[in-house]
Amino acid sequence: MSKPSTIESGALPQGIRPRRLVEQPVRRWLTRPGVLAIIVLVLIALPLVVQDKFILSVGVTTFITAIAAVSLHLIVRTGHVSLGHAAFMGIGAYVSAIATMQLNLPFPLALTLGFLAPAVIALLIGPVVLRLTGKYFVLVTFLFGEIVRTVFVNWQSVTGGSSGISGVPAPSPLFAQPVPFYYLALALAVVIIAFIARLLTSEIGRTIDSIRESEPLARCSGVPVLQTKVAIFMLGCGLAGVAGALQGHFVHYIDPTSFSMDQSLNLVVINVVGGMYTLIGPIVGTLFMVLLPEFLRGYVELQHVFFGIVLVLVMAFFSGGIADIGTLFRRLSHERGARRGNP
Amino acid sequence: MFSFSVLAQVFVDGIGLSAIYILIALGFTLLFGIMRVVNFAHGAFAMLGGYALYFLYGNAGLPYLVAAPLAALIVATVALVLERFVYRFFYQKMFQSMIGLLGLDMAITYLAVIVWNAEERSVPPSTDALMQMGGLVFPEQKLIIAGIAAVALLGFYLFTHYSRYGLAMRAAAQDVDIAEAQGVNSTAIYRLAFFIAIFMAALAGGFYAQTYALSPFAGQPQLMIAFVVVILGGMGSIPGVALGGLLLGFANSFLGTFYGSATSIFVSFGAVIVLLIVRPWGLLGTREA
Repeated sequence: MSKPSTIESGALPQGIRPRRLVEQPVRRWLTRPGVLAIIVLVLIALPLVVQDKFILSVGVTTFITAIAAVSLHLIVRTGHVSLGHAAFMGIGAYVSAIATMQLNLPFPLALTLGFLAPAVIALLIGPVVLRLTGKYFVLVTFLFGEIVRTVFVNWQSVTGGSSGISGVPAPSPLFAQPVPFYYLALALAVVIIAFIARLLTSEIGRTIDSIRESEPLARCSGVPVLQTKVAIFMLGCGLAGVAGALQGHFVHYIDPTSFSMDQSLNLVVINVVGGMYTLIGPIVGTLFMVLLPEFLRGYVELQHVFFGIVLVLVMAFFSGGIADIGTLFRRLSHERGARRGNP
Repeated sequence: MFSFSVLAQVFVDGIGLSAIYILIALGFTLLFGIMRVVNFAHGAFAMLGGYALYFLYGNAGLPYLVAAPLAALIVATVALVLERFVYRFFYQKMFQSMIGLLGLDMAITYLAVIVWNAEERSVPPSTDALMQMGGLVFPEQKLIIAGIAAVALLGFYLFTHYSRYGLAMRAAAQDVDIAEAQGVNSTAIYRLAFFIAIFMAALAGGFYAQTYALSPFAGQPQLMIAFVVVILGGMGSIPGVALGGLLLGFANSFLGTFYGSATSIFVSFGAVIVLLIVRPWGLLGTREA
């Protein structure tokens, strides 16, 4: 498999950066601390201005999807695209729902279990499946997602079969109201995204990037490749479980179809369309994927067609995604300039 | 429960299923072997083949032996447009093709939902007649499906081994650059291979729609079948497809009859995952460097 390189999108360390033909992609100004602070403040202030339940629930859905998308992003950054990520969301959702409903555990404990259960499963399968490269990993995760879905459908005594589990309780009476739940989801999303952003800019983040660029080279440089990949896979799957658990407690209902192949595919689309090799990518992709459908409710099928075509276009011509759209425009204008004879 | 007549029934079912599975997976492995494209939209083309058969045979009432190949031919011809505007950008790009063609799959599936709505339809069987053989009774339809599939596979074998274009195709699969240096027009060969692959997928999709049911989402299980068969046999290996298709067809028929379809899914997927881990290049595939 030919792994797309990040060198052109600016992952070189400071100091040895060559003169770039295209510079300052959109994400440069998006990642300024001031801009981030303003975005978070606007999101915090939103419920004070708008009390509309619909807007708030769109907000919560966006936050939950963003958590799931960045958790997949972590795994994508190691060079593996998982097509079974929604299965881990599902495991988290079912574990958390069963923990609160049948074992009467408090919500924080249930959410922790919703993180641990998929992480443990990732630990069990990770060392084996992460040895596989490119296409084989995609295929195995694809089949794994189907197996998990089949388990959800057939293990009726625990999961309620294809009718799912209804009446999943809210985290507490307080969080049954839309505004507090909005803040809960926002807080979790901000904390998780900030954590991942910090992780990716740290030593570990550079290790991850080095593994994606070249596994043999990373291994020769003393990077424990498999251990790092398994650890990141566990973290990514666990965080997906948190997103799934949150979704269950928000919608009060879970069933196997919410965690099927379609949902896994959505998460991949979010990452690819937004931009696969920066953390801003999945967040921009989430906005694109959640907000657009929410406000175009009448045309569900058409959206899918549209997203499908976007996916083809992005993969065929522009693997940087929306987060790199500035680069695309510059490249186009540069090419036009070159054709006119003044590069 | 393992009486002779039941086992014979399972055997005939297995042949019918294997024929469909091999047809679907052959195109998939061809696209992978020659163009290095992981065709995630393969199931969508099979689904379109099902609809073509539905309209030509179920609605227009053409004779079955005309309708089945004609339906596949129509789908494959229309698909050539996609070859020009989508697939051509993904040749020799394995990773990009996987994700991009997932998008194509999504677009085709939901266009089908818009055009034909999501409800399930059924394609009438080619014949209701039963065949008596000793003490055993088989539905003739299964034999017709197996027969057409066998003709298609034989035609494919003869084409790739004895015709000029078939040989050029195999040469391109081994090494595009060297083949081009010998005067093989790789663009034309790719188009031809694509046409053949989609033709077989659409043919299989018609049979699948007759055996199960037809809906815009019928492509997904077929894509899964293509995956499983191709992984079993080894990606890009044509004898591997025959072996994988037979294994999966008989396993599904046997396990599905005696232990239910959920068990059959578990066992076949589980076996594939184990195989991928110990021998990712498949039973008959060649190991990649």
